[in-house]
Amino acid sequence: MSMAIAHYQSEFERLGALLPWQGSSQWQLWRQEGLAHFAAQGFPSTRQEEWKYTSLTALEKLALSCAPGDSAPPVWESLEGHVLLPRARHRLVFVDGVFQPALSRLESLPPGVRVRPLSAVPAQDSAPLQAQLQAIRSRTPFTALNAAFMTEGVWVSASPGACLDEPMMVLYVTTGGGRAHHLVNAYDLGAGACLTVVEQYLGLAQDPYFVNQVTGVQLAAGAQLTHLKLQQEGARSYHIGALQAVQQGDSRLESHAFALSGAFGRNDLETALHEPGAAVVMNGLYRVNGREFQDFHTCIRHESPDCTSDEYFKGVLDGSGRAVFNGKIVVAQDAQHTASRQSNHNLLLSDQAEVDTKPQLEIFADDVKCSHGATVGQLDEDQWFYLRSRGLESDHARALLIEAFALELLSGIGDTGLRAAMDQLLRGRSHG
Amino acid sequence: MLIIKDLHASVGDKPILKGINLTVKAGEVHAIMGPNGSGKSTLSNVLAGRENVTVTSGSIDYLGHDLLALEVEERAREGVFLAFQYPVEIPGVGNVYLLKAALNAQRKHRGLPELDAMDFLALVKDKMKLMEMSESMLYRAVNEGFSGGEKKRNEILQMAVLEPRLAILDETDSGLDIDALKVVANGVNSLRHPERSMILVTHYQRLLDYIKPDYVHVLAGGRIVRSGGPELAHELEKQGYAWVGDGQSGQEVSSGS
Repeated sequence: MSMAIAHYQSEFERLGALLPWQGSSQWQLWRQEGLAHFAAQGFPSTRQEEWKYTSLTALEKLALSCAPGDSAPPVWESLEGHVLLPRARHRLVFVDGVFQPALSRLESLPPGVRVRPLSAVPAQDSAPLQAQLQAIRSRTPFTALNAAFMTEGVWVSASPGACLDEPMMVLYVTTGGGRAHHLVNAYDLGAGACLTVVEQYLGLAQDPYFVNQVTGVQLAAGAQLTHLKLQQEGARSYHIGALQAVQQGDSRLESHAFALSGAFGRNDLETALHEPGAAVVMNGLYRVNGREFQDFHTCIRHESPDCTSDEYFKGVLDGSGRAVFNGKIVVAQDAQHTASRQSNHNLLLSDQAEVDTKPQLEIFADDVKCSHGATVGQLDEDQWFYLRSRGLESDHARALLIEAFALELLSGIGDTGLRAAMDQLLRGRSHG
Repeated sequence: MLIIKDLHASVGDKPILKGINLTVKAGEVHAIMGPNGSGKSTLSNVLAGRENVTVTSGSIDYLGHDLLALEVEERAREGVFLAFQYPVEIPGVGNVYLLKAALNAQRKHRGLPELDAMDFLALVKDKMKLMEMSESMLYRAVNEGFSGGEKKRNEILQMAVLEPRLAILDETDSGLDIDALKVVANGVNSLRHPERSMILVTHYQRLLDYIKPDYVHVLAGGRIVRSGGPELAHELEKQGYAWVGDGQSGQEVSSGS
C-alpha cells in the first residue's frame, strides 16, 4: 500500500468522528465506501489513459491534513477586491474549508429557493443531498476521497418554477498551506427552475495546499443553470475538481470554467443529456505561465434524441506552462438528431510551453451533426504589426491580442452582469 | 520631410527594391504607380517598418531622423502613418479602444496630456462625419466583419484622428466602388495640409482623378523609371505599363546614374 493511501486512511481515523452527520449510519457508510474506493485505486498514474499527461507524484508525497483550518478569517475589506461579484446580494464565503457567516449574506431569497452551507444542514434533512450525490456516475479516486472527507460546501435546491434572478456567489478562500479541503457543491433545480451561480476558488496561501471539490448538478425538465467556475489558486496549489450534471428534457446547462492561475489544476466536467431537448454550453479557458499546469477532461453524453451541445475551450500558454484538453463526446445509439460542436484553440506564447489536445468522439447514432476542431497557434504577426503601426507599445499590443483571444469566450455568457465582470477581470483592470 | 537615397531592400533572399531615390517635401502629394510586382508594396512596408523586409543598403531620412533606426511604434508616434492595402481584422479589440490608445500613445510621446473619454469621443465623432461612418462602427472590433469599403474608410478615419506628418496610402482605392472611392478621396483631400505629406501607392490612375498628386513616379523592377507631373498618370492610363519593362532597360531618369 502506498504511503499516500496510508496517510489518508490515518487521517480518516483521526478525523472520522469530527466529520459532519456522524449520527447517520447512511453517511458513515457513504464515507467508508468512499475511502475504500480510494484505497482500492490509489492515486492515478500516468500509465492510465485519462491521466497520461498529468503527473500526481508531487501531490501524492504531501502529507496534508484533512481537517478544516483554524486560523482567524480575513476581513471582508481585504477580500472584496478579489471577488468577482463583490456586490452580489447572495453570497456564501468559506475560508480554509470553514463557513463564514460574518462574511456571507443571503438577502431575501425568493420562495422555493433554499441555499445552505453543508454545516447548516442537520443530519435528518441530509438524505436528499446524499441521494443527489449518489447520482454522480463517474467515480474517480478523487471523487471517492471527497466522499470520505467532505466537510463543507453549498447545497442549493429550487422547487419547480423557482428562480433566483441574480447571480449567487460561492467563494472558497484558502489562506494557509498544509491542508486538503474536500468541498461539495450541489445544485438541485426542479422543473423550470433557474439559477446562476459563480464558484470562485481564491488562493491567498503561498504554501502547498489541495482543493478537492465535487459539484453535482440535477436539472429537471426545463430547468436552467448557469455555472461559472473561477480558479485563481495559489502559486503552489493543487486543485482537482469534478462537475457532474444530469439533465432532463429541455433543460439547459451553461458551464463556464476559467482556470486562470494555480500550480496544478485538473477538472473533469461531465454532463448527461438524459432526455430529449436538453442543451449544454460547456466553455472554458485555461491560462498557464511559469511552470503551471492545467488539465481539462470533459465528457458530454448524448443519451436521448434532439439534444444539443456546444463546447468551446481556449488555452493561453506562456513560459514553461503545460495544459491538457481532452474533449469526449458520446452519442448513444438512439440519440438521433444530436447536434454537437466542439472547438479547442490554443495560443502558444513561448517555445517551452506545451499543450496536448485531443477530441474523442464516440458516435453510435447515424443521424447526427457533430463537428470538432482543435488548433495550436501563435500570435498573429499581422495583427501585432497593425497595432504597433498605430503607435501602440509592442508589449501593449501583445497583451491586447492575448486578451482578445481569451475575451472571445465571454460572448457565450448569457448573463450580462457576469459577462461584464469577467471582461474586466480578463482585461486585468480593477473592478468597478 | 522624407529623403530616400539609393534604397535597396529584399524580402527573404529576393532583392525587390534596387536603388530608390525619392524626395518628398512638406505638403506635397506624390503618387507612386507601377505594375504588379514592381516593389510598390515593399516600399510602403519599408517606410512603415515591416519586419519581413530587409534593407540591404541606402538611407531614409524623415524630418532629420534616421527612419530605419526607429521601431514601428516609434515611427507611428513620430507621425508616420500607413493606410493598409488589406486592413487586418482584430476580433476582441474595440475600434474605439484602438483609436484612443493610438492617439494617446502619440500625445504622450509628444509630452501632451492624454485626452479623456469625453474629449476623445467628441473628436472622433467629428471625424466620423467626414468619413460618413455610422457611430456604431466605433463599438465594433477593429475591422471585424467590415466590408472592403468600411475597412478603407476606417483607415482614413484613423489617419484623420492621428493627423500624421507623412501618410502612405497603400492601394487605398482597391476594392472600392465609385461611391466609396469618393468618400475616401474626400476624406484624404480634407487632410491635405502644408505640413503634411502623402505618398499614394496605386496601380490604377482612377484614384488620382479624385486625389490630385503634385508628382507621379513610375516604379518598375524595383526602381523609379520615370517621374513627372499629374499628366504622367494619364499617359500611363492610355499606354498601360508595357513600355516600362522590368526597369532594367536604361529608361531610368530619376536615379541619375
